[in-house]
Amino acid sequence: MEKATVVVIGGGATGVGILRDLAMRGVDVLLVEKCDLVNGASSRYHGLLHSGGRYAVKDQEAARECIIENKILRKIGKSCVEATGGMFVRLDIDDPDYEQQWVKGCADSGIDAEPITLEQAFRLEPLLSKHVVSAYLVPDAAIDGFRMSWQNVESAQRYGGRFKTYREVVGIQHQNGEIQGVQVRNMITGEIEEIACDILVNAAGGWAGKVAALAGLEVGVQPDKGTLLAFNQRLTSHVVNRLHKSSDGDIFVPHGSITILGTSSMSIPDPEDTSTSREEVENLLSIGEKTFEHLRDYRMLRAFAGSRPLYMPPGGAAGRGASRGFAIVDHGKDDGLKGMMTIVGGKFTTYRLMAEKIVDQICDKLNVKEPCRTAEEPLVPEVAENDKKEARKYFPAYGTNLAATRLGPERFRRVVDDLKAHPEKRELVCECENVTLAEVEEIAKELSSFQINDIRRRTRIGMGTCQANFCALRSAAVFAKCGRDKVAKDSLGQMKQFLQGRWKGIRPVLVGRTLREIEMTRALYELSFHVDGGKKA
Amino acid sequence: MKHSDTVVIGSGLAGLMAALTSAKQGKKVTLLTTGAGSLSLNSGVIDVLGFDENHNFVESPREGIKTLPEDHPYKKIGVDTLEKAVEAFLDFTKEGHFPYSGSLDRQILVPTAVGTLKPTCLAPRSLNGNGLKEKQHIVVVGISGLKDFYGDIIVDNIRPLLGENHRYEVVTVESGLGGGRDITTMDVARWMDTDGGLETLASALKPHAAEGTVFLLPQILGTAGEDRMIALQDKLGAEVVETTCLPPSVNGLRLQKIFHGALMRLGVDLIEDTKVVRAVTQGKRCTAVVAQAAAREKTYEAEKFILATGGFYSGGITMREFEQPKEMIFGLPVWFVPGEENWSNEQLFSDKPQGFAKTGILTDENLRPVDNKTGKVVYDNVHVVGRNLGGYDFCFEHSGNGVALASAYKAAMV
Ligand SMILES: Cc1cc2nc3c(=O)[nH]c(=O)nc-3n(C[C@H](O)[C@H](O)[C@H](O)COP(=O)(O)OP(=O)(O)OC[C@H]3O[C@@H](n4cnc5c(N)ncnc54)[C@H](O)[C@@H]3O)c2cc1C
Ligand SMILES: Cc1cc2nc3c(=O)[nH]c(=O)nc-3n(C[C@H](O)[C@H](O)[C@H](O)COP(=O)(O)OP(=O)(O)OC[C@H]3O[C@@H](n4cnc5c(N)ncnc54)[C@H](O)[C@@H]3O)c2cc1C
Repeated sequence: MEKATVVVIGGGATGVGILRDLAMRGVDVLLVEKCDLVNGASSRYHGLLHSGGRYAVKDQEAARECIIENKILRKIGKSCVEATGGMFVRLDIDDPDYEQQWVKGCADSGIDAEPITLEQAFRLEPLLSKHVVSAYLVPDAAIDGFRMSWQNVESAQRYGGRFKTYREVVGIQHQNGEIQGVQVRNMITGEIEEIACDILVNAAGGWAGKVAALAGLEVGVQPDKGTLLAFNQRLTSHVVNRLHKSSDGDIFVPHGSITILGTSSMSIPDPEDTSTSREEVENLLSIGEKTFEHLRDYRMLRAFAGSRPLYMPPGGAAGRGASRGFAIVDHGKDDGLKGMMTIVGGKFTTYRLMAEKIVDQICDKLNVKEPCRTAEEPLVPEVAENDKKEARKYFPAYGTNLAATRLGPERFRRVVDDLKAHPEKRELVCECENVTLAEVEEIAKELSSFQINDIRRRTRIGMGTCQANFCALRSAAVFAKCGRDKVAKDSLGQMKQFLQGRWKGIRPVLVGRTLREIEMTRALYELSFHVDGGKKA
Repeated sequence: MKHSDTVVIGSGLAGLMAALTSAKQGKKVTLLTTGAGSLSLNSGVIDVLGFDENHNFVESPREGIKTLPEDHPYKKIGVDTLEKAVEAFLDFTKEGHFPYSGSLDRQILVPTAVGTLKPTCLAPRSLNGNGLKEKQHIVVVGISGLKDFYGDIIVDNIRPLLGENHRYEVVTVESGLGGGRDITTMDVARWMDTDGGLETLASALKPHAAEGTVFLLPQILGTAGEDRMIALQDKLGAEVVETTCLPPSVNGLRLQKIFHGALMRLGVDLIEDTKVVRAVTQGKRCTAVVAQAAAREKTYEAEKFILATGGFYSGGITMREFEQPKEMIFGLPVWFVPGEENWSNEQLFSDKPQGFAKTGILTDENLRPVDNKTGKVVYDNVHVVGRNLGGYDFCFEHSGNGVALASAYKAAMV
């Protein structure tokens, strides 16, 4: 039977942070995730590396944690952070008293909030509404959740940490009040596997309540759904926040060539529910167009949703009123189940801190004395300048740096060698995001690639302007060649599944220019390729 | 100010066919267009009806049409007119030395770039895959550096369709084109137009040809007509068949070429890069349309106007806000399926039509736009054709070019 000292459940930011921290302290650790990594809130989110400004009035402890972690993540995860800077803007309809409280809150929490003139604000953000009456700069940034999580995993692997994807924990085994291990279902084959462990960490985010229930325990986690809209352009160059009491649809975060507007807050019974509706889209648009008046003229790429794991201390408040702080529950102390712990709540921005706190407690139990070093050591070694220089000869223009940050040093080196040896692999699989055939092949071959979607999350194919119109065919062809099994090699099935995944996000924004794009997608795949056979009469 | 008998707006298949048919009737025709439309993307084969409302495969488009709902454009056009449009199209392609074949009674199976067999109604010989089953040896031919053609997946997917007792082979031919850069089917087709190119391909393939061999190639056999296909077949002593492909579609362009040639000979005034922005109307008649080219406006008067502006895809119809579709020139009433739950299906590849795809203009029997509620004709001398028409999902039922062809023919004849 497979064994690890610690098993971590959940491959979101919290889980991978714990995996890395434990591995770096020399603890034998295995992470299991029921889908691909970052299946939950850690990718279905806004991607804002908070300065803390958003919490400066309501929750100064959270604000302080944010600004400290913000600085740390910029340092250790350089290639995951886009240092856009942030702007808070108050509109003429917003309460001026709140502005005063906010300025004071920032000062008290250690957040630099620099007032700027309106002239400066419009110069920095030309599309801003003329209803803006005051503006401040704060150290917000954009952060790539896929990449940051993957880099945590790869760092952990260098220290012997292990992970398994497409393994859902379906049972928790314990005897005489002590954890024995877990039962996991292999989501690809359907088989049940067993893994023994001494300590079990439940880091299942919005699912943490369900996981705890497998051991007969109760943990108050309220999944709280937030909906986000991705636009095809970079509407802003800064993260733009509305300076008022935190509410729906009031933050714009630029990421690469797109902008994400969000978000909403809605308690839901099931964290699997990532549906979005036209009403939610309309709601976000009508609030968003207060800050950017011409918002509706830009093409929406998709809508998506995730659920925040809000911790509900017995008798607490739900929704935006609930704490964004985090909680660690030691079920040995609270429920008499030794070796089991749950961690919930928090934010992406504070994932590292959360990991550090729980790993300190775990190390106490295991009598491990190693201190935490996750705040000092960079997640990945820098890609050598020489490698990049050489790569520029083979990569598409502007593609080198992006690929280097996506791939990390070892893979980048392999891809460069491949491109050098096989010039035909310089072909672009994804023209929107500049991804070469060599890179897609490199990822397609990995053990953790089961569907094109897994490749998408690693390489960004299909996430740009064409929303997979062209790369669905190309990546299915790569997978048919390099994939490991029958499912991977089923090119028609893979194409359909990949496009269906994109479709889910497109449906709620099926209006304006998106209609034209989807006509193209359907015509290509239904008419030119006839991937959907219909029924024989 | 310019006066014609008929002004056609849009030069996709519907606009081209409308202009051709009108001109053949002796009319003085002006064709105004901003872009090339979808013909350069769409393989240029004419689907009439591949699947019915329940997604059952339709063996005979003629029979299948009978089962369609009353609002469907084919019901307005009528099977007799469809039949005549098909005849007119087949004759026209013959005259253009690029003969299509097919009939309303059975489907032609076109091999696709992913190895499926796509039903269509009319196709040129090079795309007709009906004979593939009888061949023993299938050679899939790739061209080095040509993007988006993957021999291995064609073999994987076509094998179960044709049966196991065929021999399959994938061959890649070195073209020397592109110098390490990506090349498109259009680049290779131009190379095939040259004798050197054809000779290189033929000698690379010759060793693979035997009794019962068929070569399956991307759309590369020349940029015009079918001469290069015939020449290659002669050299190989074996049949060759082309597949559909990602855009650009060489075959769509071949078809466009013979249309352009014919329109020129018939004296149609084809005015490109010009965008019609509004109409001048008097009561229930349109007297002129105003077009914009290079920031200058020009007025075109006519007795009859045929609107072939291509719906959502080509911008004839737009929808900036939910449930508010607009026809951009005349402001015609646009019919659509209301309600979020009816707008689209949970599955992209679904076994029911997609609601949003049915958005379009409803018409009377003569394809004149009608008010959605009263059913009354809005303009007596305006006719709507092709993708602008409401009430059908061309992707789901495989009917895009068929509706375009038949509606254009009818609009020109009434
Ligand atoms: C709409 C939205 C916007 C947000 N924006 C921001 C922001 O801009 N900045 C910020 O800092 N924070 C933001 N957050 C908060 C942040 O995303 C989350 O707090 C954080 O990502 C939670 O990470 P996690 O690892 O705890 O949970 P998750 O990322 O949800 O991870 C839980 C994982 O557990 C897995 N799992 C569940 N059950 C099982 C099982 N039985 N077996 C195995 N695996 C299982 C799931 O598949 C999932 O991958 C946002 C959240 C939402 C919803
Ligand atoms: C990728 C793809 C593959 C397809 N495959 C097939 C297939 O295999 N078989 C099949 O039967 N059908 C297929 N179709 C569908 C088929 O292309 C269309 O249904 C049909 O050709 C529509 O023709 P149309 O002339 O109405 O519109 P379009 O081809 O869209 O033409 C519209 C024209 O109007 C012009 N225009 C628009 N607005 C203005 C204006 N204001 N002023 C002037 N001009 C204007 C445009 O420039 C364009 O020339 C496919 C479509 C696509 C996109």
